[in-house]
This record gives sequence, C-alpha cells and structure tokens, in this order.
Amino acid sequence: MGGLPKKAQQLETVRGKTSAVLALDSGALLFKDEKLPPDQREQLTVTAQGIVAAYNKMSFAAVGVARQDLAAGLPFLLAVQKKSSFPWLSANLLSRTEHKPWFKPHTLITAGGMRIAVIGLTAQGSDSLFTEKDNTIIAPWEEVLPKAITQLRGRADMTILLSSFPAAINRKIAEAHPEIHLILQSGTSQGNLPPERVNNTLITQVEAQGKSVGVLEVHWNAQNKRWEEPGSENLLADKKNEMDRLGWQINRYRRQGEAEQAFKNQPEVLEAYNDMLARQKLLEEEIVRLTAKQKAMNAGRQRFSSYSSQFEAMRKELPDNPTVRAIVDATTNEVNRIGKAAVKARISGITGQNQEEPSGNYAGSTACTSCHAPQFAKWRGTQHATAYDTLEAKGQQFNVQCLPCHITGPATQTGREMLALAHDLRQVSCESCHGPGRAHTIQPTAAKAAQPTMDTCLRCHTGEHDDSFNFAEALSRLRCGTD
Amino acid sequence: MNKQTTLLLLSFLALLNMTAPASGASGEKTGNPKQQAGMPHDLTIFFSNGVRGETEPCG
Repeated sequence: MGGLPKKAQQLETVRGKTSAVLALDSGALLFKDEKLPPDQREQLTVTAQGIVAAYNKMSFAAVGVARQDLAAGLPFLLAVQKKSSFPWLSANLLSRTEHKPWFKPHTLITAGGMRIAVIGLTAQGSDSLFTEKDNTIIAPWEEVLPKAITQLRGRADMTILLSSFPAAINRKIAEAHPEIHLILQSGTSQGNLPPERVNNTLITQVEAQGKSVGVLEVHWNAQNKRWEEPGSENLLADKKNEMDRLGWQINRYRRQGEAEQAFKNQPEVLEAYNDMLARQKLLEEEIVRLTAKQKAMNAGRQRFSSYSSQFEAMRKELPDNPTVRAIVDATTNEVNRIGKAAVKARISGITGQNQEEPSGNYAGSTACTSCHAPQFAKWRGTQHATAYDTLEAKGQQFNVQCLPCHITGPATQTGREMLALAHDLRQVSCESCHGPGRAHTIQPTAAKAAQPTMDTCLRCHTGEHDDSFNFAEALSRLRCGTD
Repeated sequence: MNKQTTLLLLSFLALLNMTAPASGASGEKTGNPKQQAGMPHDLTIFFSNGVRGETEPCG
C-alpha cells in the first residue's frame, strides 16, 4: 500500500484542475492473491482495512469486486463494505440459492452534468473460490449483464463497466453490448494498456497493483453517445507517456555518472543506454509532428465524443498526501505490532526461547566466512548485507509482507518461520544466491554451492519491486569470485 | 400506513440510494442534470487497478 499517498495526491491534483472528476477502481484492491496464507491473515486483513480507510478519504465513487478482494472470504468483504463510503460493485456475485447479488450490481453517479452508470463484474476464473457452504456463485456475464443494462436503459448518459474479466472476454462484452461506453479492466498484465476501441466501447487498464494511475479526459456528446474515430491525440498521448518513461529511465542511468566512464566495462549497458538516447531523439521528432497534425484536425469534430488518456507511474519522487500517508503509517505500525506480538508469543511458548541457530538446510552466513572470508567481506559492502536493517529502520521488520525479500531462506517460508528467523539468516546473504548451504559446510567438495541464475534474482527483483533490474549488470557488480 | 404507501416509500429510498452522487466527483446535486441539447460534457475519469505492493513502505 506504499503508493497510496502518492495516488491520493495525484487525485487531489487532478481535482484541483477540473471540477468533474470521477474516481473509479476496477478491483483487486485489498489483496494481491486469491488465497491468504493462514498465518498471514491477520496482518493482511489489517492492511486491507487500511486500504479501505484510504479510499474513503480519497472519495472514490465506486470499486469493482475482483476475485482477489474475496481472498479473506465473502463475510470479510461484506463487513468491509459496511465501512466503505463507496459502493463495491458486482452484478454476478450471487447467492447460490436465491440468485441475488451480494453487492450492488450497479450504481448511478452524477458528474460533469451527466448521469453515469457504473456496473461491476467479477471474473469467474478457472477454479471456484467458494465451497457449498458459502452459498455463493460467480454467474457468467451473459446471464447478468443484459438484465443490468435493461434496468439502466434511459437512465444514464454514459455507461462504464468495472470488469475483472480478462481482455479477451471484455472484447466479447464490448461486441455484444455497445451500450457500454467504457470498460476499465482489472488484471495483472504488465504495463498500462491504452484505450482500445471495440465497437463503440473503449477498453483500458492501468498496470496492476497501483503502479500507475490512469487519467481519461472525456469530451462526451450525450446526444449520440458515440466515440469519434481515433485521432492523433491518443497516439500523441502515448508518445508523451513513452517519452516520460524513457526520460525517467535515462535519468536513472545518468545518476551513476558520465555514461562512457560509468559503464566502460559493461558494453551491453552502454549500448542499452545509447539506444535509449536514440529513441528519445526519435520520439521528440514524432511528438512535434503529431502536435502539428492534431492542431490541423481539431475543427469540425463536435458531433462525436472524444477522449485523451494518460498514465502516471507512481514514482518514488512524487509527493505524498499527508492524510493518506498518516493512514498508511498507522496501518503499517499495526501490522508490525501484530508481527511483534507473534514473536513474543513464540518466545514465551513451549520452547521457552527464540530460535538462535539456523535450521533446516540453511547454514547461515557465519558458517560461510571461515572458508570464504574475501567473498564475505565483499558482500558486506553490498546493499544485500543491509537488506534487513532497512526494514528495521522503517519499523517494518515484523511485516511478513516485506520480510521475504529482506532475509535469507526458502521462498516457501511461512510467516511464522520468517518471524522466528535466526540472526544469522537476516539480510540477503550468501545462501540467497547460492542456495541452502548446510550440506556444503559438511561436505564442501561433494556438495557444491549453486550459482545464481536470473530466476534466483527475479524472485525479488520483479518489475513490481525493481523495474530497472538488469541481471548482467547486477551479476558483474555483485560477483564474489569462485573460491 | 397501508401496504401500498410502505412499498412506495421503500421504492423511493431505494432510488435515492441508487442515485447517490459521487463524493468529490463534481459537487453537483443529485437528480436529473439539465442538459442542453447537443452540448458536450467534460469529464475526467481517474482510474486505478489495485494498490501498490510492498515496494515503498518496506525498506
């Protein structure tokens, strides 16, 4: 939820520029996955409640129910709904026995001098989220959407669908229902998807997990309710977005110094950098050309509705909204209090003491130093060696959502195991890259330590956490030798 | 209060609930907005898809 204060500030900025702003979220708001690890449930549900408090403060107009939002169970989401100042929408999440929706299927909102209908649809997915006992089904969109559209006929100037169905199904929905003018998708696709027009429906999506926000400026003619044919303004906006992203990436490289000097031993990095500079020059020329074309086309377009879209990445340097920052901080404090209490409970439990020695297949970094002192010394100078310290500095060392990428151990560790971690396995140390080393400490020749592959790093250096990660560059920087 | 009046009241309340304006959307009053024929409307839709994960608050 770290990007929430930035999202709130962006929304406030947009509201400061224009009076008619409609804030919508297509779902997957509360949880990342469809199932919660049982021993993380308490921390994750507290986080979910913090997210709702922040959305209340941001005055969102409606949120779609996605499958991930049901990860803590339907009763949890129904309870959350009561504390939400915005409606949760799903037209197809129904009680099995009565076929009645658990949430509002749609809502009507007045904004920009128009009545806007917003409908919600929850993706069916490949496996059921519910047991017989839950008395819940996710009905096919074909069953519920015609009814919702009939109910809304004549009552709205514009109809928006918040859908967590995948893009292919949303295209089918658009083909079947031209009455829907805009589909905002929820999904896990990497990158932002600029509006794609299918029939008379625009389908768009921002990158998952709130990494970006989308701003769609609509100039809507409620008389004919038809989008104009795509013009150069959308292409222009795309090019400007690409230019922004590229500029940001180039700046990251520039911070490391003069490129020719900084990357003199990394030709592949230098080549990538020069490619970016060349692309930036081309983009500049295209933007100038498209701007001129756009000016020439602006006459005689009043009959149709038009739009322009842009995406804003939630970069670290963007300002925070102080009110939402306070909500996020209070939530993370509570999450850590729960983790700390779990550690205390374990210490005073049956064993009577905390775990101090590494267990299982892991040996801990101290065991490595006796034979690999130079490599250990090099590692001490890397950010990996202070990965856990950075959590402590932010008071996040009891947060099981953070711990996996700041400690050493298998990806399958439970929250309980992570919170009871031996001191020797804190930080991202030798065995994070070389695998569990207990066998190697016993039989150094027979049980060789593994060498890291790109997959080893991608466990944590995902696009979500590190969107500029370069395996070759990282390896050359962190390589600790062959001894 | 007879049954018909109760039903009418419930329907009215349901309708009020369905047409609640978006808080912070435009500050306009609930109800049927007056539209001038052929006049286009300007609207900004701010949209997001979930909440950023652990990146920033962790460390």
